[in-house]
Amino acid sequence: MNMETVANIRQLAPQDSLNWIFQIVWILVFIFIWIYGQRIQTLLMLKEIEGSLSKLKLMRDRGREIAISAIKEIGKPNEDPATRVDRLLEHVAIEPVSLDPTGIIRRLEHIIDVRDFRLKDEVRQMAPHADENQINNLTNVLEAALALNHLYKIVRHYYLMGKRTLSFYIILQTQMILPLVMRESEAFINALKAFVSGQPIGDGAGALVAARLMYGKEKRLIAPDTIMSEVQIEGRKAYVIKAKGPGGNVGKPGEAIKQILEEEEGKISLIIIIDAAQKLEGEETGEIAEGVGVAIGGPGVDKYKVEEVATKYKIPLSAVLIKEGIEDVISTMRKEIVDSVEEAIERIKRIIRENTREGEKVIIAGVGNTIGIAQ
Amino acid sequence: MKRAPAFFIAIVIIILAMSLTALLLSIDSYIRHGKIDVINMVFSISAVFLAAYMFLQMRRKINVSIKPPRVLTLIQCLKCDYRDMREFEKGDYILKEIGPCPKCSGTLIIYSIFRESVDKKR
Repeated sequence: MNMETVANIRQLAPQDSLNWIFQIVWILVFIFIWIYGQRIQTLLMLKEIEGSLSKLKLMRDRGREIAISAIKEIGKPNEDPATRVDRLLEHVAIEPVSLDPTGIIRRLEHIIDVRDFRLKDEVRQMAPHADENQINNLTNVLEAALALNHLYKIVRHYYLMGKRTLSFYIILQTQMILPLVMRESEAFINALKAFVSGQPIGDGAGALVAARLMYGKEKRLIAPDTIMSEVQIEGRKAYVIKAKGPGGNVGKPGEAIKQILEEEEGKISLIIIIDAAQKLEGEETGEIAEGVGVAIGGPGVDKYKVEEVATKYKIPLSAVLIKEGIEDVISTMRKEIVDSVEEAIERIKRIIRENTREGEKVIIAGVGNTIGIAQ
Repeated sequence: MKRAPAFFIAIVIIILAMSLTALLLSIDSYIRHGKIDVINMVFSISAVFLAAYMFLQMRRKINVSIKPPRVLTLIQCLKCDYRDMREFEKGDYILKEIGPCPKCSGTLIIYSIFRESVDKKR
């Protein structure tokens, strides 16, 4: 800006007039912001949600593509699975009525079983050349793609509702929860690769502990998709339970524990359950925590069964938790988690030594998705 | 969806125009009185930053790329201390028996499969 330009501006409008005009403009801007400030903020938030929604849509589409290409590659179907995959992505499971809570767990279990059966059956029809492990893995792939589709639709619903009503509070709540939704969606998109390749995931930490304990021992199917081995640990007889691998599977640990307790007529001194647990911010991945209670996540069916049967026979319950972030739970297992498995085994041995006597019987259940982990 | 960017572009242009005017006034004031017009300078600089921020927000590209992490397979002999590490291959799973040990002819198993951590700073 040279002196001549400034002089020209001064010639065009006298300095005082220009100053006055400028002051008035600023005042008008302040009045405008005062009146329409919230509307502008709402529009800015909508813009931010729109950006995240576009990202969610890309992730949803990528998930669908991965699912279709995995089915084509592994299952070698006779027809294009795209239509069937699209139908499955819209699949819903309706929760049982809770107005009369009597027997709700039993009804919930039935619905979960039917859903699992239906999904696996659909995968079987789409991928006729896949073996049982691959069918389990492909079911996991579809579940992740379904979750991405669901998240996208929920965010889109609130975005469109907020846009239509311009309700500040609907938009604010959506924007506030978006970072967590995005984090979860990114975890699902990363999980797809692990599921397609059959790599062990963070959730399988408990299953890996059980697999290490039962390796080389005789196994038998104790409940659907769940196996059990008898192992001698510190002079005690341990019934070690895990889901049947290496396909993606969580089994029925609750049913398995109940079965063993019924077979042994409750003559069990201790139940130890090992599972992955969500870490709090600031905690290290692979940290181990001990506690009491039933460390089984999910909808609560297995947890309820173990609590019921353990209360019936008055058996103490111990929990060993391997801490990990939400993004680690469904993505390929991190080295820190693998390393913590050895420490978890040492902790289990110590808990057994401290809480039971030699010759007594204990149950050790490694809970979690056993994808990529045999036994 | 098209209206919002046009609206924001209009805001950015207005902010930039006002910041330019504020800058001119402050320069003019300095030339005439030899004093720095602090208020107009602050208005101008902050408005330029605000406009740049809004512009960058609008231009931000959405990118979803799945970067496959490096996944390693640790092979171990059940009898001796032989260990080997290689890239994960399709069909690998933990506790899979993969043949005889080159050192002692014992059984080699896949001991663990894990991904390398990329977020060590966290």
